[in-house]
Amino acid sequence: MAMLHRADARSARADVAPRQAETSRVRGPVRFLDDVLVRIALLVFVLWTLGPVVWMVVSSLLEQTALTSVPPDLSPSQFTLDNYRGVLATGGSLVPAFRNSLIVAFLTTGIALTLGSAAAYAIARLDVPGGDKLALMALATQMFPGIVIIIPLFIVLSRLGLIDTYAGLATVYLSFILPIVIWVLKGFFEAIPPDLEKAAAMDGASTWQTFTRIALPISLPPLFATGIFAFIESWNEFMFAIILTRVHTKTAPIAISEFAGQYQTQVGQMVAAATLASVPVILLAIVFRRYILMGFAEGAIKG
Amino acid sequence: MHRLGHGFTSNRFDRRSLLRRSAAAGAGLAAARYGPSVWTPGASAATNLSVLSPLAPDPAPPGVAEFAMDGFAAWKTANDAEVTYEAVAWPQLHDKMATNFASGTHVHDVYYMSGWVPEFAPFLTPLDDMLPQDLVDDLPPSSFSTVTWDGNRLGVVFTLSLLTLFYNTAHLEEAGLDGPPTTWDELKGYAQELTRDGRYGWVLNYGQADGIGGVASYWMVFLQQAGGTLYGDDGAPAFNDAPGLEALQFMVDMYTNGSTDPGSISYVGINDATNVLTAGNASMMMNWPFMWKPANDPATSKIVGQLGSAILPAGSAGAASIDGTDAWTIAATAADPELAMKLIEFYLDPVVQTRQVLDTGWLPIRLSVLEDPEVQEGAPNAAVVLEQAQHPYDSFVTPDYTEVTLAIGTEIQRALQGAKTPEEALQDASDQVAEIVAAREG
Amino acid sequence: MDKAGAALGNIITMGTLAQRRQRTAILLLAPALLVLAAVILYPIASSIVLSLQDAQLSAGEIGAAWIGLENYRQLAEDDAFALALRNSAFFTVSEVLIVLLIALGVALLLNTHAGRNPVFTVILLVPWVIAPVANAVLWKWILHANYGALNALLSWLGLIDRYVNWLGAPGLALPMLLLADVWKSIPFIALLLLAGLQNIPATLYGAARIDGADGWQRFRHVTLPGMRTPLALAIVLQTIWSFKVFDLIFVMTRAGPADATLLLNYLAYRVSFSFLDFGYGAAIANVTFLIMFVLALAVIKVLKPGAPRAQGRV
Repeated sequence: MAMLHRADARSARADVAPRQAETSRVRGPVRFLDDVLVRIALLVFVLWTLGPVVWMVVSSLLEQTALTSVPPDLSPSQFTLDNYRGVLATGGSLVPAFRNSLIVAFLTTGIALTLGSAAAYAIARLDVPGGDKLALMALATQMFPGIVIIIPLFIVLSRLGLIDTYAGLATVYLSFILPIVIWVLKGFFEAIPPDLEKAAAMDGASTWQTFTRIALPISLPPLFATGIFAFIESWNEFMFAIILTRVHTKTAPIAISEFAGQYQTQVGQMVAAATLASVPVILLAIVFRRYILMGFAEGAIKG
Repeated sequence: MHRLGHGFTSNRFDRRSLLRRSAAAGAGLAAARYGPSVWTPGASAATNLSVLSPLAPDPAPPGVAEFAMDGFAAWKTANDAEVTYEAVAWPQLHDKMATNFASGTHVHDVYYMSGWVPEFAPFLTPLDDMLPQDLVDDLPPSSFSTVTWDGNRLGVVFTLSLLTLFYNTAHLEEAGLDGPPTTWDELKGYAQELTRDGRYGWVLNYGQADGIGGVASYWMVFLQQAGGTLYGDDGAPAFNDAPGLEALQFMVDMYTNGSTDPGSISYVGINDATNVLTAGNASMMMNWPFMWKPANDPATSKIVGQLGSAILPAGSAGAASIDGTDAWTIAATAADPELAMKLIEFYLDPVVQTRQVLDTGWLPIRLSVLEDPEVQEGAPNAAVVLEQAQHPYDSFVTPDYTEVTLAIGTEIQRALQGAKTPEEALQDASDQVAEIVAAREG
Repeated sequence: MDKAGAALGNIITMGTLAQRRQRTAILLLAPALLVLAAVILYPIASSIVLSLQDAQLSAGEIGAAWIGLENYRQLAEDDAFALALRNSAFFTVSEVLIVLLIALGVALLLNTHAGRNPVFTVILLVPWVIAPVANAVLWKWILHANYGALNALLSWLGLIDRYVNWLGAPGLALPMLLLADVWKSIPFIALLLLAGLQNIPATLYGAARIDGADGWQRFRHVTLPGMRTPLALAIVLQTIWSFKVFDLIFVMTRAGPADATLLLNYLAYRVSFSFLDFGYGAAIANVTFLIMFVLALAVIKVLKPGAPRAQGRV
């Protein structure tokens, strides 16, 4: 953890330095009008981005009868926690679904980082033929409509007894997460100064040792950044989960969709379920904001 | 635990031997004949039955919905059986089945079906030899029409689910209308009269094109009321005629004259339409019997005590409806079809059927339970549904029902939106269905 | 340079070193490649095989009769495919343009002094991390014809006097789906572009200023060229995601009304899982893939991403 924090602070400083340079430049003559325009634009941006989310939360706190009034009845007496009590009680599907999503997301992230970092390092450093085409290949895997690979995957997984298991779901999630992880991590590894590894080689370290003792430890922040992407993607995935889960491994998006059955009439519960399922990933995004931004700045673009 | 190890051949063998057992039982052996441990040497654990079902509040069995739980526990003990439910949201049911069957592996023993029996017929076990006669005698004979394909009974309907009219008695009273509409003319007139004060006379979910409960199936209601049919005796589409047009024109008129909630064409599920009625923003709709319960629940409804129910208004050829066809079936790959049949028999047990209607709102299918005074009192709309059942209620299910209803429903939506005239829409729908039927038979 | 240096430094042991490196490379790569072969290559190969077969479920199992390119030929006369292609083209082109323009605006905004407050980045992250299913549920509710917040808001502001049938009126449903997806797509692209903006060396702006370039000229001649890689990446990624929209349609409209919101990806799903024609569904999916691949290649060819990077790295 200490390592992480140090790296964290370092990347934060690196982030700030160019900003200060630019800031002092922009603020030379204070242009009042520009400033006002920027602030108005920021307000519009906040309203546009948060408006729908706020409405989701407000709706989840309203009685059904208030929601189906025209216009919606927002008087304080209409607010209630019943929708949340309802979704947590109904069949008890939400809590296990959260646990399942958590397990699958951790599993996928762990495997993707383990396999992905090794592959990315090989491509970045060990002259793998075709390594330069990696970005395009990674993109191509994102293009294939998942719908059509479901049936072949389903057949293989069911022969292996992996339907409705965490391992099965995580394996399938690797199909769209692993290529991205490799692609982004390759960018990070390429940015490591070669001198470090050369010095290690001089000391007699093998390539494997260089990878595990030099490259990986100094890449913890990018690994973390990539891991958060993988985690969010796995937490939110819906289409594969519909087909590949049955009884024991239903994930959070499935639980949300279950509150929208054919005869289900409780709008508030449906929105409450959507809100609850969004809370963990929103918290994750807020807490690890710095790593996510670094993933964008260092990995996606340079990779 | 899914029995993935079973190959198709061995299942065949199992089934044949089980059928023999079943026949033996039919010949007079006692009821306590099951108990797989007796038949399978070495297997001491309880047999597991795997069931695919919708989630409540869609029609669901004991164990998924909260009813008859004591009886269910007792049944499992008595039969030394475990039951594993995979309960999924309605929109995912069909795709799950399709994937399961397409994979060629055994997944579930018992499947819930709604209009999909002909489509999945090759994957289902014929029940003709297994159905106890006393059960069959207590079911409406017509309930088998949608679960019979190629002369085989492949399923048992477990709830009498026909579309009937639901209306807001307070709105009708306020408008000075006496009793529910009984003819198309009255329906149209009522709807216009009731469209006022920000309310609409009529609401339905026209947003989904296909399937039972899609716009094509609603049109089939009007089609039969106008004396039409979907297919001729030769199996070719026969709806592009006067009754077909009359039915579509009626829906379009109701929509374009402003008395149908315009949102109807964006409502994909019936729940969206139900909400408009129970919020008091619309006065009439057709719906499944389940409607009664949420409309009288103060937590979700603003029209508690105001809901009226009647048979659907008659067209030029009389009253008619469609069948929801909620049925239980047994997979062809089921290792123990007889035990699966026992489970279905339990679902259709008179006591379970009584709890089904009283606790979940889904009507029973057993005639003896439907006529039970306690049931009639607990579900006042049961009598209406029984009366509706006196009239035609064909859902015209075929193996390509989804494709057919999607083609028809999409054209109906175009007519409702004014993109095509009803004549054009019907002609185009008929052409497409003819192609689909030709592909089915070719 | 470093490669040459390494070669010189190890001139004697070079053969074995290269061999050792290669062995390690294989060891490091093999697990990932095996997994990817199993979860991507194999299913894709199966889908190509499937698309050359008459693979319908109706016969009681998926048949396996070879019919060559018949499924692909069928596409030419399929009205639904033509409609889905048009809808997908409209949806993708509009979304890429709208998302890129707004996201670029947001990125420029968040790169100003006032916009650098971390609060704004946190706000921006929210739509991105919300599950697509939750997003669909949310927008379906916002756009509800009677109880939707959008109608209530617009009529409260006096902008409409009658409630609009957002998901039902002809020509409106697809733009509304677009709205819901644009809202969710902007953050990722904006962050990508923001990272690109912050990657442009400040000295370039200084030089441009000395040359007397005004704000627009600096944007035109410094910002845009410097953003080539992130812009190309943004276009390619957004094109892929727009083409692949599924959860929104599945939850909000089921491709209706009157197929107004039918996109290629959903059509492939419908043909496979509703019509149980897995061969034809695979053909639609493969064509969709091909279109995306060609589009991506074209974008990469035109924008030549990576060129400025090489210059900055060495």
